[in-house]
Amino acid sequence: MIGSVFLETLRQTWKQMVYWGIGLAAMALLVILMLPLFDMQQMKDLLASFPAVILAMIGVGNELEIFATNEGFVAVGFFGKSLLIFAVYPVVMGMRITANEEDDGTMDMLLSLPVQRARVVIEKFLAYSVSIIGVVLLIYFGMHLGVLLGDVELDVARLAEVTFYLIPLMVFTMAVTLLIGVVARRRQVALGIITAYIIMSYMLQTIGLAAEGTVAEPIGAISFFTYYNTGDILTQGYIWPHIAGLVLISAALLLLSLHRYEKRDIAV
Amino acid sequence: MASASVIEMKGLSKTYGSGEGATRALDNLTLNVNRGEIFGYLGPNGAGKTTTIRMLLDLIRPTAGAATIFGMDVREKSVDIHRRIGFMPGELSLWEGRTGNQIIHYVASVRGDTKGIVKQAAEIAARLQLDTSKRVRDLSSGNKRKLGLALAMMHAPELLILDEPTGGLDPLVQQTFHEMMDEYRDKGKTVFLSSHVLSEVQAICDRVGILRDGDLKAVESVERLTQVEFHTVEVRFRDAIPAGLPQQLDALPDISDLSANGARLSMRLVGDFDPLLRAIASGYVESLHIEEPTLEDIFLAFYSGGEED
Repeated sequence: MIGSVFLETLRQTWKQMVYWGIGLAAMALLVILMLPLFDMQQMKDLLASFPAVILAMIGVGNELEIFATNEGFVAVGFFGKSLLIFAVYPVVMGMRITANEEDDGTMDMLLSLPVQRARVVIEKFLAYSVSIIGVVLLIYFGMHLGVLLGDVELDVARLAEVTFYLIPLMVFTMAVTLLIGVVARRRQVALGIITAYIIMSYMLQTIGLAAEGTVAEPIGAISFFTYYNTGDILTQGYIWPHIAGLVLISAALLLLSLHRYEKRDIAV
Repeated sequence: MASASVIEMKGLSKTYGSGEGATRALDNLTLNVNRGEIFGYLGPNGAGKTTTIRMLLDLIRPTAGAATIFGMDVREKSVDIHRRIGFMPGELSLWEGRTGNQIIHYVASVRGDTKGIVKQAAEIAARLQLDTSKRVRDLSSGNKRKLGLALAMMHAPELLILDEPTGGLDPLVQQTFHEMMDEYRDKGKTVFLSSHVLSEVQAICDRVGILRDGDLKAVESVERLTQVEFHTVEVRFRDAIPAGLPQQLDALPDISDLSANGARLSMRLVGDFDPLLRAIASGYVESLHIEEPTLEDIFLAFYSGGEED
């Protein structure tokens, strides 16, 4: 029956989604509750004394004015600096689409049923995408809760774009993980490759930011993290070409994965 | 006219890897399994049994050759075929955090007929004395296999493909399983089961295929295969081997490979025990050790004895 793999995947995942969502929401809440402890003007003056390269490396770049606002502090200080953590959840989910099930041996049981390989991959991909949306929604609710509890002046609506922008980024990360899992077959190998890829991307983004205005700046464009620049999102809103790029590349990665998975042997 | 064969394999081969590191798992397998029979696929571990089954299920693809089930190509029509078959893998892995009932509902929903199938699964589980309310991680290996059997059989498939189905099952449940297989045969359904346990194959199969190192060595009826059944016998006397006994035993047509070691006599016995027991009664027998032949022993005896057609 169409949708049965999707529903079962959601059933198997909803608890992890809630735990991750609560954990990340708690982090957001903590950052918001800490806001009254900072004097933004002093913070701005302090940061203004830093060399440009340091500002770039800590994610502030030339967005000092934005950073010295409550929204900017949350956007850069929480979302910008927690990117590696945000990348973990989609990696875990991406691994579950094929690599984990093959390593565990459950894929044999699943594919012995009247269901196409492509359907299994697509339904699981969609289910995990839904769980990513769930995690992001919980983060958003966590920020609302922080505002209520901390009596903080914070325009959460402005942060909505920064929050929901995480969805295409996390789906992209899951799509990359899926493809690596399909190609590598083995969980441990796939996990090693995707970890290296994410750390490398993070480093490239940092180099790109630190080298702003130099010939090394384009290096940052290689990193997918570059397409989640919290300062830019806060000032410009949704950057649709970036979102479209992430969505299209994710779709292409999914199609590549389907093609490769259809052709190869299922590992045991 | 519709083919009587449910499974047809023609020149099926599988090689893992390439170049010098390539491993040949199956070589040019041609085999038919007929409707209404229980076919035992015998061989030691690593012979290629699971490889064959995984190719039939389109989990892995052959290097050469082709296979059909119900006349449909296993690659092109895998979904249509899987609708009509039930499968239990040798190394059964299920979703550890889910209960038996949840997995039954999941598998039933993928099959698209939840109500009827779930009811049937409950009946099978009751017959196998399986508690389906427990999580898979809390089930013993035997109970996991019971759940695997329920999942394979709950939609009453036309063809059952079972890889080492009774490993870990207690003798009483094995007996129930054998009864279920007999009922399957009576209903005109087909079973393809792999095993390395000769007694199991003898108990339930109509025909067997013997596989070794990826080669199909023989396809025989169980009746014919067991005609060459023999035992390895060791007799230990309290004092010494009675004088003239070795010569007397050597003269018996059913005894071969006779050897003496101190007060012990070892031999291979084909057929009845009575002539041997009468012959050794001339001495004081301290112990008598009878060993069942392994599948490999029977296989070697069958083919070294020139009994091929």
